[in-house]
Amino acid sequence: MKLSDIAQVIRSKNAGPRRLTLDVMFASDADYQRVVQSPALGAAAIGRLYGVAPAEVIVIPYPAGRAIKIVMARRIMAGDPGDKDVYGAQQHAPLLGVEI
Amino acid sequence: MSASGRILADIRRARRPLRLLGASGQLGYGIPSPGFNAGLAWKPDLIGCDMGSIDIGPTYLGKGEMATSPEATRRDLRKVLRAARELDVPLVIGSAGSAGAGPHLDGTLAMLRDIAHADGLRFRMAAIRADLDRPMLLEALRDGRIVSFDGMPPLSEEEIVEASHIVGQMGNGVFRRALAADVDVVIAGRACDTGIFSALPMLLGFPTGLAVHMAKIIECASLCCVPGGRDPIMAELDDEGFVLESTNPERRATPTSVAAHSMYEQSDPFTVIEPDGMLDLSRAKYDAVDDRRTRVSGAEWRDTDSPTIKLEGARLIGERAVLLAGAADPRFIAQSKDILPKLSELVRDLVCEDQAQDYTLRWRVYGLDGVRMAVPPGEATPGEVFIMGECIAPTRERAAEVVRTCKQYLLHFGYPGRLSTAGNLAFPFTPPEVSLGPAYRFNVYHLLKVDDPDALFPMVIEEV
Repeated sequence: MKLSDIAQVIRSKNAGPRRLTLDVMFASDADYQRVVQSPALGAAAIGRLYGVAPAEVIVIPYPAGRAIKIVMARRIMAGDPGDKDVYGAQQHAPLLGVEI
Repeated sequence: MSASGRILADIRRARRPLRLLGASGQLGYGIPSPGFNAGLAWKPDLIGCDMGSIDIGPTYLGKGEMATSPEATRRDLRKVLRAARELDVPLVIGSAGSAGAGPHLDGTLAMLRDIAHADGLRFRMAAIRADLDRPMLLEALRDGRIVSFDGMPPLSEEEIVEASHIVGQMGNGVFRRALAADVDVVIAGRACDTGIFSALPMLLGFPTGLAVHMAKIIECASLCCVPGGRDPIMAELDDEGFVLESTNPERRATPTSVAAHSMYEQSDPFTVIEPDGMLDLSRAKYDAVDDRRTRVSGAEWRDTDSPTIKLEGARLIGERAVLLAGAADPRFIAQSKDILPKLSELVRDLVCEDQAQDYTLRWRVYGLDGVRMAVPPGEATPGEVFIMGECIAPTRERAAEVVRTCKQYLLHFGYPGRLSTAGNLAFPFTPPEVSLGPAYRFNVYHLLKVDDPDALFPMVIEEV
């Protein structure tokens, strides 16, 4: 099953101009538990998807929000020449098709 | 007595829960009137609005321009100012004019004076500047009191001198000082969004952790609800917690939606770093009051003995011009990653015939990789793409020259297997080249170590 079939929210945004944060939220505790225990959203898998070293990826389970937060460095600071997404709001797309 | 003095005296005399209305998370993009009016009918003790963010990028800070349109900004300011004066409650606005530097603050103050004049309003207003003194910053840099974070390179004297504007994010102590000065309106330059709402409860002795947590949530209006939105939000704070309710009946503040909001635009859902301490949310509790209201408790505040102020600065890097074009030829699209660098070389040889290259030229091919950080291998070639060439050059004329030359030579660029010899590009209109004006980058994003986080931000009180 794809992440986009399980999650209620899959979003990305800057956390300051130098970091990108991805939030994946679920409608039920069961869905959250199923995904939080899967290696598909581990640092190694996310690093491969986004082309960054796994050591630069932080994955934070957040049960109170039935959510998983992923944080990584932006390759280009927001608004610097060459940036593709100043707000970082469209960097969630690679997560949609992740197989759980 | 002015509004802040009256509220402080009233609640000190007869202690009761405090009501705060988060009117807008982005003042200047419109406040939905039904929700705003519902919020006013609830008789808040304070109306607060956030007006800015660093998300919008470096150009507004660098140029000293607002991101919002003057007309919409004036309409929103008038709406919240009139309401606050009618209820005689403090109006508190943070990060004035989008980026909170001098021109943004001055522009916001000028609009408020105009509105007051036109509508016959009189009030006492505190204005607080966020611009930081360059000699002070240079001295702090030499003393090792400016440090990097989030992987930002160390700051240099040159970057301090060359920045168009440098602001510091003021914290809640500055807002407390303003509200304690018996005022009706507080307009702050660049500020931590929490200060807008946490200062009044802190002056009244409500627990700091709860006040800051509440402030962090309601500065985004009804974004913490399902469905999230920009209708104003109501928060009622007592000594053990606070209750959140949207002013729009269709938006529900649920325990999960409110808890999830703590993650929004934050790198850590359990902590919020402020100039004078840290909000610890690891014991925060979210309980449903009913299906539209949630009560929040448990947040703890930890003072720091090493306060810091976050600095933001932007520096001019040139003039920007872009070329906008589409393409639908599958062979051109398939080869575009080879064609565009060759085109860039061709153009350089033409426009740099008698000089060194003095500009940068970048291509984004929307449909292929214009958006994503990394593209998975083996994606199918799209039927159409949108191509944007972006030049940053020392002058507007030079940037325009480069993209105009690109237009002509990309239109007629020859590549292996080309069938469409009359032109490679579809222009949605002509001219397809656009001059966008000065371009900036964030060149200061550092922490300044301070003894007193409030001392850097001078306040001026004005009778309007």
